[in-house]
Amino acid sequence: MTYSDPAAVGSIRSAIRAEQNYVYACGLAGAELKGAGKRRAVALIADRQQRIQVLAALLPESDVPDTPPAFQPSTPIDNARSARRALADLDNALVGYYADMAATTDSADRAFAVDAAQASARSAVQWGASSQAFPTGAQG
Amino acid sequence: MSSPTRRSLLIAGAAGAVSATWLITGCSSDSEAPEAIAIEPSAPPEADPNVADELTLIGAYLGAIAAFPELRGTLTTIADQHRAHARELGASQEALANIDPIAPSAAKVRPAVTELIERERAAAGQRADSTAANDDPESVRMLTYIAASETSHIPELQDLRRALKAGS
Repeated sequence: MTYSDPAAVGSIRSAIRAEQNYVYACGLAGAELKGAGKRRAVALIADRQQRIQVLAALLPESDVPDTPPAFQPSTPIDNARSARRALADLDNALVGYYADMAATTDSADRAFAVDAAQASARSAVQWGASSQAFPTGAQG
Repeated sequence: MSSPTRRSLLIAGAAGAVSATWLITGCSSDSEAPEAIAIEPSAPPEADPNVADELTLIGAYLGAIAAFPELRGTLTTIADQHRAHARELGASQEALANIDPIAPSAAKVRPAVTELIERERAAAGQRADSTAANDDPESVRMLTYIAASETSHIPELQDLRRALKAGS
């Protein structure tokens, strides 16, 4: 099924854009990270591209946003530490996008959004962020 | 119970339902006619299972902190997040101020942290499940945030458990 309700379409488009940016940031981070961190960043590229495919299938093709050519995280990535912090911030921000999607969709699509929100928040902590009562992005 | 000199309580309700009306009768010491005061009872405290579960989680953290004060830092931070969840879900200040600690069943610290991990896993699942049949978008949004937060407590507690000495 594809959504036509503007609120649902908007929330799904926003989630796709946020994931596209996350994938790009994983590429930037992968260049700075080593060992398990690097492997994790690379694995997340595939994981999040899969999410994008699921999300895209919920929209009419004309509503699916194009992949942007580049993305500059608000936390510039120029070493391993900033790479981890940037991905943690982006993961926590994704929770908000998926919370919006959960609120505007239903059934399996809502369950997907909730699951993705949970996985994103968990990923943020695995990148080194502290947990937040309402994950919103920037760490204190 | 029937003595006019003693206060009596009569609970009238349909089939013992919780929504019974309390009828309080009493009389003063100078034998005035008894007064009848009808009081609508408040709803049972924290009837929302998510609120009740948040309060239980806070109690579990309070109990773990009491048993293992060395964990106070991390556990207090997480417990405070559960307080924030409970408030957003509608818990009363009175309920939040009167939470009894729940002692961990484990006597050692690492198994006690494992218990908290299991509680968080169950809570995250319960919050996620609660979104399924929910018709209120704002409620769904809030429950999604809370489910995500509680999921994020799991790796945080796992890190804490790893940091504790093996065998402790």
